[in-house]
Amino acid sequence: MEFLLQQTVNGLTLGSVYALLALGYSMVYGVLKFLNFAHGEVYMFGAFAGYGVLTVLGGPTGLLVPVWLALTLMFVGAMVVSSGVGLALERFAYRPLRSASRLAPLISAIGASFFLQAAALLLFSANSRSYDAPTLIPIANGLTIGPINVWAVRVLVIVTAVVLMVLLTWWVRSSRAGKAVRAVSFDTEAAAMMGVDVDRVIVVTFLIGSALAGVGGVMVGLVFGRIFHFMGFIAGLKAFTAAVVGGIGSIPGAMLGGLLIGFAEAYTTAYISSTFQNLIVFGLLIAFLLIRPSGFLGRPELVKV
Amino acid sequence: MLALALVVAACGDDTGGDTTTTAGVTTTEGETDTTAGETTTTGAEAMACEATIGVMGPFTGEVAFIGEVQLNWFNYALDTWNEEMGYDFQMVEADTQFDVAQSATLAQQLLDNPDVLGVVGPAGSDQVDAAGAVFEAGDPDLTVISPSSTRSGITAQYTGLFRTVPTDDDQGPTTADFMVEQGAQSVFIVDDQSSYSTGLADTTQDNLETADVTVTRESVSQDVTDFSALVGTIPDDTDFVYLPWQVAANGQIFANQMAEQGKEAVIFGSDGMDSDDFTQAGSYIAAFAPDIAAIEGSVSILEGYLEQYENTSTFGPPVWAAARVIFEAIDRVCQAGETPDRANVQAEVRNTDQTTSILGSPISFTEDGDLVEGTFFIFQIQEDGSKTLVQ
Repeated sequence: MEFLLQQTVNGLTLGSVYALLALGYSMVYGVLKFLNFAHGEVYMFGAFAGYGVLTVLGGPTGLLVPVWLALTLMFVGAMVVSSGVGLALERFAYRPLRSASRLAPLISAIGASFFLQAAALLLFSANSRSYDAPTLIPIANGLTIGPINVWAVRVLVIVTAVVLMVLLTWWVRSSRAGKAVRAVSFDTEAAAMMGVDVDRVIVVTFLIGSALAGVGGVMVGLVFGRIFHFMGFIAGLKAFTAAVVGGIGSIPGAMLGGLLIGFAEAYTTAYISSTFQNLIVFGLLIAFLLIRPSGFLGRPELVKV
Repeated sequence: MLALALVVAACGDDTGGDTTTTAGVTTTEGETDTTAGETTTTGAEAMACEATIGVMGPFTGEVAFIGEVQLNWFNYALDTWNEEMGYDFQMVEADTQFDVAQSATLAQQLLDNPDVLGVVGPAGSDQVDAAGAVFEAGDPDLTVISPSSTRSGITAQYTGLFRTVPTDDDQGPTTADFMVEQGAQSVFIVDDQSSYSTGLADTTQDNLETADVTVTRESVSQDVTDFSALVGTIPDDTDFVYLPWQVAANGQIFANQMAEQGKEAVIFGSDGMDSDDFTQAGSYIAAFAPDIAAIEGSVSILEGYLEQYENTSTFGPPVWAAARVIFEAIDRVCQAGETPDRANVQAEVRNTDQTTSILGSPISFTEDGDLVEGTFFIFQIQEDGSKTLVQ
């Protein structure tokens, strides 16, 4: 029981990060109908921004402000930087190709991904950085759930992810801007005719998706410790998988997909072998694309004949 | 504040030198500062001694942290050599990106460059294998010295291949014997799916099982940064967790997550974990040299390096050793009044007989190209992060 509980917490933590990343993929696909493969690099820049804020504030061993304030500033800093990177991507890599064939922005996204990786390598060097979170928040500080102790940082990650997802869901359903996003994702032309500023909606979508990715970056830095220039690549692929499994274009689907992928990884490692981790995750991607391409909660695409 | 944060996060390295890059191969002129009266060359023949040395490594890509250190140490060795000797040796960079196909392509490019008299690298055994096949087929006289490939038997396959690190045949048994001496009954081994790691894990596992130690074997990619699920599978009666990993920072994450889940097994890391990124108190690491900061003749070299470059790792000093072997071989050819070519340089490399080196041990090669006196040391990490030699 203890083993299952521990692995469930592990899966929930990882799944929360994937869910935040997958949201960005889903939001952009929902609005623009294309996959932003550079999204993983947006998350990577967020992680480095969080690290930078932590360093400016004195680092884990010499923090100049209370821990809660440092964490808040790290999240805010990451969101700002990631949003900036996301907006720059939209403006320079995707907007000029909006009326091009569907392949063009996809290729641009892949190129942008490599560009950002190389930029990060030049800016931050190949050396990984560590948040050294156990010094910031000792491992002994945590929540006792039955026989296991859950580190406070994991609790923070899970709670933050849940809060952000709830806020996003509320915003999309209830706010005027959220309705505009839903309208554009349903039918761009009709939304434009109804007076929705489509360009603005796209910008807001990138802003929010990228900000969530930035939060994910800081979470990874806190829980798993190591950030490096290449970290966005695999994380981006898994988040993409999560978005597809949950239903690309669906916000609840992205959340569900992220959690499912997180659990799949944890339980595969726990009950089969860590060697099969990526095999299972990407196997799920292939399976869903073959059997149910719209994912769990996605809408099948209707084409007028 | 955000701009400041990104700048602080950057603190990029400046490797210096003027570079031009064509299709993955970069030519750089060594930074030479020769002052009349301070050079140690003798004779007109030595002053005319010219050479180009290739350096192959993963300078970009997912293990760029290894390649960057290796490139920095090579540049440092080259600059220092040129300054000491009044030479103007040149270098050609070949970025393998830790990719086998890329390594083979770059090997051909280096082979086709008639000025290249020797090569330092590649880093990984798979890349050495790929490049080695090209070099062997094209010109077995070209000397290739890998500063980090430890796969047993690889030098025997290629005429011109040497290395300045001991092999898995040395590290695996040394590691296993130590664990057995410590009373290990159960060991959990996790490889990181690199050729370095799997080879070492295999050798260590074989030796442990021969000694009737129960071994559990797992495998995880270097890209993974969450090991919590894997940590959860470590049996409570495990004595040692052996991590033959190249990424020391991942080892620290693993250690943190073990502590998080109350796992009490002691971590034993391979030489790839010998880095400031892994500081888990009580853990052991293997290293192919004593801490060079504690070697009298190497301290000044290390200090000189750190004045120019931000940090180093275990992957650095063997590059210096490999570079110096080639440089000194070329110099001996020149001193003998000959024009250095690949054949006579390799002959001199085989004659290498350094009584001491940056690694604190002599350097000479077996017929196959391995170190005659390769040995591994075991250190234990203390609370303050320092290392104490235990074997």
